Amino acid sequence: MLYRLAGIRHTTYRSARQLFPIPFDRKLLGFVILLGVAAPFYLSPLHLNSYLLPWVIWTTAALGLNLLMGWAGQVHLGYAAVMAIGAYAAIHATRFGLPLEAALLVGGLASSVIGLAFGAAALRVKGLYLAVTTLAMQSIVDWTIVHVPAISGGSQATLQAPTLRLFGLPIETDAGRYWYALGLCAIVTVFLLNVSRTSFGRALVAVREKDFAAAIIGVSPFKFKLLAFWCSSFIGGVTGAILAFCYYRAITPEQFHLEVSIQVVAMVIVGGLGSVLGSYFGAGLVLLAPIFLNNWVASLASALNLSLQTDVLSQIPLVLYGGLIVGFLLFEPLGLAKIYDNVRNYFLVWPFRHAR
Amino acid sequence: MQEPEKVLEIRSVDRSFGGLRALKEVSLHVNRGEIFGLVGPNGSGKTTIVNSVTGFYPPDKGDILFEGRSIKGMAPHRVARLGIARTFQNLALFRGMSVLDNILVGRHIHMHPSALAALFYWVWAEREELRHRDIVEETIDFLQLQDVRDTPIEIVPLGLQKRIELARALVSEPRMLILDEPMAGMNQEEKEYMARFILDAREERGLTVLLIEHHMDVVSALCDRMTVLSYGEQIAGGKPAEALSNPRVIEAYLGTKGREHAA
Repeated sequence: MLYRLAGIRHTTYRSARQLFPIPFDRKLLGFVILLGVAAPFYLSPLHLNSYLLPWVIWTTAALGLNLLMGWAGQVHLGYAAVMAIGAYAAIHATRFGLPLEAALLVGGLASSVIGLAFGAAALRVKGLYLAVTTLAMQSIVDWTIVHVPAISGGSQATLQAPTLRLFGLPIETDAGRYWYALGLCAIVTVFLLNVSRTSFGRALVAVREKDFAAAIIGVSPFKFKLLAFWCSSFIGGVTGAILAFCYYRAITPEQFHLEVSIQVVAMVIVGGLGSVLGSYFGAGLVLLAPIFLNNWVASLASALNLSLQTDVLSQIPLVLYGGLIVGFLLFEPLGLAKIYDNVRNYFLVWPFRHAR
Repeated sequence: MQEPEKVLEIRSVDRSFGGLRALKEVSLHVNRGEIFGLVGPNGSGKTTIVNSVTGFYPPDKGDILFEGRSIKGMAPHRVARLGIARTFQNLALFRGMSVLDNILVGRHIHMHPSALAALFYWVWAEREELRHRDIVEETIDFLQLQDVRDTPIEIVPLGLQKRIELARALVSEPRMLILDEPMAGMNQEEKEYMARFILDAREERGLTVLLIEHHMDVVSALCDRMTVLSYGEQIAGGKPAEALSNPRVIEAYLGTKGREHAA
């Protein structure tokens, strides 16, 4: 990270408003994209399928929720329900004979319409009350999915996802599924990066910070909160469908319960509210930390000759999420992204700290 | 002589909060191109008037007309679209954005914000963004904010924040500007700068200004006409010199003893 800002000059508004105005960042990004796209060639199938693929998909989900929580400042504790609606709607749509691309849109639209219906009701209240209302959405959607056999096939049933297809061509390989998920993640990432530099994103931030001041410059707070709900739910729905098609490939109602919602909230908060990069970090930490932690606790337990039951082990990640959320809210409310930023700013002028 | 055009007209407006009658039959009008002062001790209802004009507290009784059209009970974001901009007594800038972005939000009513435009930025949004950036830069030059342009708003000093809020109001190209204590907490030099900006803004942009201010030197120097409020009642009005020498005004500010001293 030893590079300097000196000598980087922008002579047009256009070049100053680029997504990555610093040349080094662009090169770094190119390298990371290359690493990401080439991952199937150098990672073992195990690592690709059980670490990288879920990371990419959950990052997409975290980005979708971050639009609502980070940019528009509205808490949503029912994001897993949003994803469930998308997943079930998309699977039923493909079974109905729609091509997959259309089915993904159906999933997204179903989520956004239902999400919006709840959002419109929920947005009459703020803060804690909004959180509780979205929690109600989670319960209602959970209940409906389990108790309406036409959707889930019953509480114990699994619903098989049809084969993933791109423009009608079946995709049967792990690499193909990974690239599909990566493609969606890239689109959502580009969207959110651009949101920050357009009037849409500025209006969202204005509503988040001071809705009365936003109103006086012509931003309708209610409209933009609803728009944020709509977009966020749409992304959630499509991501839920991708999760079903690329990762689970057979879905059950338990995959979209409240714990999952909390997990996505943890990703957003730990990663950094309102930060695109943060969602990548947050999803990575929240997904991967429990795996390492479980291995570590298991080996510690065997070293100490303690016998740990599996249900104790399975609760540890939940405790960890809670701890992480509390810890980050207390000590670094802007999350891992802010920590990254601090380190980067430090090295930008290192060792001449006074130059800042 | 031609009758001056009334930009804003407040007709016997009444507003209560619970048992407190904050505005009692207040009537005033602001002519095109005027700087109109609104003064009075704390709690006299100045900000309540502004809030009922901008739609936050619709009046209980009476009517408010902007350019001949009733705006009573209109939602704040609609009032903004008619061409009224305001600043707040306690700053209301948006944290988490740079100074530039804060001012750019002010262009909201002239832009077409949409999620799709964000997704297809290079096709749909870029040209619009850059065009509005040009307009915003003019105001940045005008208010001499060039060197804080890219600074996060949180770390800009208070005096400058007031100026940024003025910039945000100005870029929306309003016909009427409402300034709620733009000079509160400023030192003499900052006050003089701000006074100059207000005069220049009226001169260059043909604005009509409604100014709430506590500094009497500023009010009497800047305003063409004014109204003095006390406990929601209009106690004096007219040219600053007349209004401020009115015994009831002196009484409101200094008490009856003070009136004897002043006399």
